Amino acid sequence: MELPERPHPLLNRRAFLGHSATALSGMALSQLLNRDGLLAAGVSSKSPIRPSIDPANPNAVRATHFRPKAQQVLMIFCAGACSQVDTFDYKPELIRRHGQPMPGGEKLVTFQGAQGALNRSPWEFRPRGQSGKMISDLVPRVGALADDLCFVHSLTGKTNTHGPGENFMNTGFTLDGFPSLGAWTTYALGSANENLPAYVAIPDPRGAPQTSGNCWNPGFLPAAFQGTDFNATKPLRNLARPSRIDLGTDRATREFIAKINRHQLEGYPGDTELAARISSYELAARMQLSVPEVCDLSTEPEHVLRLYGADAKGDRTQDIKAGYARNCILARRLIEQGVRFVQLFNGAYQVGGEGTSNWDGHKVLKDQYTVHGEIFDQPTAALIIDLKQRGLLENTVVVWCTEFGRMPTFQAGASGRDHNPSGFTGWLAGAGVRAPFSYGATDEFGYRAVEKVTTVYDFHATILQLMGLDHERLTFYHNGIERRLTDVHGEVLSEILA
Amino acid sequence: MKPTPSNDWPIRKLMGPLLRSIGLGALVTRVILSHAADLPSAVDRPVDFERDIRPIFQARCLECHGADKQRGGLRLESRSFLLKGGENHGPAVVPGKGADSVLLRAVAGQIPDLQMPPKGERLTPSEMALVRAWIDQGAVWPGGQVHQHWALRPVIQPAVPRTPVDLPEPSTPVDAFLLSSLGEARLAMNPRAERRVLIRRMYQVVLGLQPSDSEVEAFVRDPRPRAVELMVDRILSNPRYGERWGRHWLDVVRYADSNGFETNRERKTAYPYRDYVIRCFNEDVPYDRFVREQIAGDALGVDLGTGFLVAGAFDLVKSPDINLTLMQRQDELADIINTTGTAFLGLTLGCARCHDHKFDPVSQKDYYALQAVFAGVGFGDRTLQVSLAPKQEMELVRVRNEVASARKEIDALRARQERAVSTKSTRPPVSAGLNVEEFPAQEVMGVRFQIHASSSSSEPGIDELEIFDTRGINVALAGPGVRVSASGTLPGYAIHKLEHLNDGHPGNQHSWISDTPGRGWVKIEFSTPHKIQRIVWSRDRGGQFKDRIATDYVIEGSWDRDVWKPLASSADRKPLVSEDPNAFITQLSPEDQIRARGLLEVVQGGQDRIQQLTSGPSVWLGTFSQPTNVHRLYRGEPLQPREVVGPDAVAVLGSLGLKADAPERERRLRLAEWLTRPDNPLVTRVLVNRVWHYLFGTGLVDTPSDFGANGGRPTHPELLDWLADDFVRNGWSIKRLQRQILLSRAFQQSSSPRDDGLRADAGARLLWRFPPRRLEAEAIRDSILAASGALDLRMGGPGFHLQIVEEDNVYRYFPKESFGQPEFRRMVYLARIRQEQDSVFGSFDCPSGNQVISRRTRSNTPLQALNLFNSTFVLQQADLLAERLRIEAGPEPVRQVDLAFRHAFGRVPDRLEQEASVALVNQSGLPALCRALFNTSEFLFVF
Repeated sequence: MELPERPHPLLNRRAFLGHSATALSGMALSQLLNRDGLLAAGVSSKSPIRPSIDPANPNAVRATHFRPKAQQVLMIFCAGACSQVDTFDYKPELIRRHGQPMPGGEKLVTFQGAQGALNRSPWEFRPRGQSGKMISDLVPRVGALADDLCFVHSLTGKTNTHGPGENFMNTGFTLDGFPSLGAWTTYALGSANENLPAYVAIPDPRGAPQTSGNCWNPGFLPAAFQGTDFNATKPLRNLARPSRIDLGTDRATREFIAKINRHQLEGYPGDTELAARISSYELAARMQLSVPEVCDLSTEPEHVLRLYGADAKGDRTQDIKAGYARNCILARRLIEQGVRFVQLFNGAYQVGGEGTSNWDGHKVLKDQYTVHGEIFDQPTAALIIDLKQRGLLENTVVVWCTEFGRMPTFQAGASGRDHNPSGFTGWLAGAGVRAPFSYGATDEFGYRAVEKVTTVYDFHATILQLMGLDHERLTFYHNGIERRLTDVHGEVLSEILA
Repeated sequence: MKPTPSNDWPIRKLMGPLLRSIGLGALVTRVILSHAADLPSAVDRPVDFERDIRPIFQARCLECHGADKQRGGLRLESRSFLLKGGENHGPAVVPGKGADSVLLRAVAGQIPDLQMPPKGERLTPSEMALVRAWIDQGAVWPGGQVHQHWALRPVIQPAVPRTPVDLPEPSTPVDAFLLSSLGEARLAMNPRAERRVLIRRMYQVVLGLQPSDSEVEAFVRDPRPRAVELMVDRILSNPRYGERWGRHWLDVVRYADSNGFETNRERKTAYPYRDYVIRCFNEDVPYDRFVREQIAGDALGVDLGTGFLVAGAFDLVKSPDINLTLMQRQDELADIINTTGTAFLGLTLGCARCHDHKFDPVSQKDYYALQAVFAGVGFGDRTLQVSLAPKQEMELVRVRNEVASARKEIDALRARQERAVSTKSTRPPVSAGLNVEEFPAQEVMGVRFQIHASSSSSEPGIDELEIFDTRGINVALAGPGVRVSASGTLPGYAIHKLEHLNDGHPGNQHSWISDTPGRGWVKIEFSTPHKIQRIVWSRDRGGQFKDRIATDYVIEGSWDRDVWKPLASSADRKPLVSEDPNAFITQLSPEDQIRARGLLEVVQGGQDRIQQLTSGPSVWLGTFSQPTNVHRLYRGEPLQPREVVGPDAVAVLGSLGLKADAPERERRLRLAEWLTRPDNPLVTRVLVNRVWHYLFGTGLVDTPSDFGANGGRPTHPELLDWLADDFVRNGWSIKRLQRQILLSRAFQQSSSPRDDGLRADAGARLLWRFPPRRLEAEAIRDSILAASGALDLRMGGPGFHLQIVEEDNVYRYFPKESFGQPEFRRMVYLARIRQEQDSVFGSFDCPSGNQVISRRTRSNTPLQALNLFNSTFVLQQADLLAERLRIEAGPEPVRQVDLAFRHAFGRVPDRLEQEASVALVNQSGLPALCRALFNTSEFLFVF
């Protein structure tokens, strides 16, 4: 595999030496040496680290920057922007001032326009777990796990529109075209299980999220680090032997290809790209065995299916819930198999009208969230319970997040909430995470982050930190820039680390 | 010149004191100035900047006034920065006037609160004396400004190195440079590749397709000494060429056929730009012209070029939230600026959006100067301005002439009519308000008002008709002895009744309106005679309505109510000026009316045709409007505007010389001209290197879009410059440049690896062999189609789809599972959807169209293997190839295998291959072999 636009360090230095007559070139030299990490150890702690990728096995396990607290990531993403004030961000003042205008709210122009009055959540909040964390009745089963969760209540975003918001949380940039968090992670670390994709994205049963492949695309990273997307009902495309090809033919064809390729390689000893091509076919063959195996939920016992709600049926909502539950089980199985990064989606692109297929509750929040909560709560809670009881949370960090938050007010003339990037909630659980814990806070209504204000960059930096990666050093050179997941921002939220 | 690395990298902290000590170590004495008024006199000798001044700046100034930090907004790493000065004190130097220069006065402590450097030791008197002398002598900064960086220096034609005389094969100037570096590394070039390999490589690299079996055989057997040259000329004039190189360009300009973001709607009108690009490459449009068309094609008669500006993603979701709207606009402009910078200049201009560039001499002001150039560019569909074929051009001239002469004739008729009217017309035209008719007093028993035409085609109306006798009494006012009648009255309106005609209440609310369009009469009869001399009438004295005015009328009086004699008429009134310029026609004689109407038809028809000829289809292109002022934005924040910045180029490379309020189009045109000046060192080097990159897989500079301080250095700087210089001298012809490289030994040598080469230069950057590499997604797909014989070579037009498109507010795309002729076109014609890669070939590092991609990554992944091995598309092509083989080779497996290898690899199999292949065919059938061949490395690689 070839990485793009990577200056040849030797040639750069040689070229430099030819120009070193002036004093300033000395600086250029140090810069080059520094960038390549060639200066003596200890000179610089922030020089970029570009992982060295073996073309024949791009997802081979690679070293972390320092001792990691987690080995794997499970990211659960709610498309459509899930409201913090109806789920995890309890605000007694919002209940008390229900129906009153929000101070300054009349001047606010949010995504869809003007604000109505403050509106308490239609769901009651109750203390949960030993910690007594107040969590709403919309997500009671996830709420019951409060003692295992670490909430970040003071997240802030850079945009209040879905596409850029979804890009931002998944890739660290609001624009299209940047590598996803999962792509960065697998680019840095590879994956323990060579027979499965290193990075799997599991779309919601209703379809892809709002910016679709942006959420798991490699951006300018090599295609090897693209998320492979499949879920419990839609298998990995082109994985299975085509039905019209019998097993014998398939095997004979595969063997023939290997033979011809090896024959060809005889004339090209030492060519890494040709060798990589051959090994990609070997890897593919192994994936053909192991992916169907990991996707085969028929071996899951009845009580597990029930725990997740995979047995749900009766109406459309229950069908979707069962589908999402099966995706949750698939996520656990992938984590169990050592897949480095699993990205699980709840909610899809906009279909059937605003807020129907995802958490975009602008106008009829109560009706829509009743459905979304029903689909989300039990399977998600079961997933965490299951991971925990299998000991998988010891090595896996679970991250729950969404595009941005929603307003504590209802929109003028409507019974739902507009977009709000000024303050919203995400949570983490599992390896290396301090729990129970709540970090940061929004104001008295849940509108704006006011305590320990945090950015998506910080959130990302912290996830990389848990994985043993320094977000300032993990880079990829593209079009003249040492690109980072966190651009030029981000600080690790060390308070939330265990 | 880059003085320091990023402050993220603590190396600077280590190097700083070191350099400082070097700077100070040479000093003999250190004297602290006793009081501020002292300015040391200048040294009495010529000052050399590099020797005398740069070290001082380096050691004492740049830590705070360099690329990292700009205290007070001041930078000291170029003359232009010095001349610009900081935020508060104006220019830092006034060339020739050291004593007046802020720089010297600040280091001398002459400016209160501005002692420089603020911390640490001051400059010594001898240092100050040098600085003063340097400024007095004109502040000469050698190399113009910052041009220490190789890429910014002028391109100067280097001498071609001499090559050893004992070379077995003739070599080109390109080889001379390469052999010279190889010689230094004690490496040799490989021998020439065999013809079979060579023609395949040429086709794959230059056309993105493998040659047909017959093309291979013809070339292999071509006995002419110039066979290779002729083959190169053939492929360069093959239309497939533009499709291949057009695709490369589309990568660079982040082209795609959907808008991206959340809605990701299809951009169905973008493809004309793609076709234009393909055409330009095929026609070898000189690159300087091509570049100008990208930036300002609308000013050059090549409107389609401006598709470049808006080819990137575009967020359709708009909001009343001003923060969002402003940031979206900033992002749009950043996309245009970034793409311009990376595509043409190889500079990462986008870095300067929030702060001065850390590595390259691009200031934040430069960024906003470029934003001012593009600030009037909008995204959207608009009507294409077309340029015409000669035949149409002639027709356009003819039609325009016809229209002009018809107009002239109509004008003549109008003038004649107006003259005729004006000779007999003395009274003012009728009006909606008061119209007064005066005549010699006479006794009448009645008055009749006959209307023959009205100012609108509708029924005429009169709100009040007054008839004054010689005493000045209105004898028409309703009362005993006054009787009114009319031809008819508009039915159904209480406000329009006949009795309102003389009720003493003028105004539309109390008016009479005829029931006949354009015509009607009213009559007022008296029971006793009245001696009258004046009549006053109006349409609407209220001033509200100006329609329905009687324009052609006669007012008559009668003594006996039997014989009516005219009292007054419209005949001596000037015509009412109508809104319809052609209304005069009704006044013409019948023959002239026919003539005039004929002329009008000529004008109308001609105008329609001109419209047809000159306005093209609706296309996704740059839209343009005059922008308002552009401000530098503090940290790139739209709500933190600072000073106004006028349109300009990157200062270190020159200026556009535009006024701050220059017209929008002129801004882009000037930038386009500036980019393509032959002495712009970047544009030519970047292009020549791109071509090299696409031919060899790696450029002479391996960062094709970054020629800045942080990018790669050229492996062969002289060769790069020689090519760039030659390129400009020969009319910016890309095909000529490619021909030069394709005819080199370097390109034509074998790709076989050698131990010595692999050891010394594994990546073959020195070109001791032709470096083999995997084909790109498009070339793989096109080659499969070519091998199976299914390839459809129709060019241009709307893209084909590999996805089923679900059109809603948000567009969704689902992979197709069956394919036919429409999907068998070359992949450059695929409707490229952002975020949604083709399910088979997208995984071969296909760019998403969101970022400038000047060098694709090249992965080999299991997903690619699965897609090639199992996809419906490839299986179908395997069947088609098998069918083709059966038809062409007959039923015999040996012959089928032979031909299969020819179609797939351009050669016959060796013995091992043949045995294995025949065995596979016998065991699993011919389609199994075809499926396998599409999956072999030989099929997927350039060797």
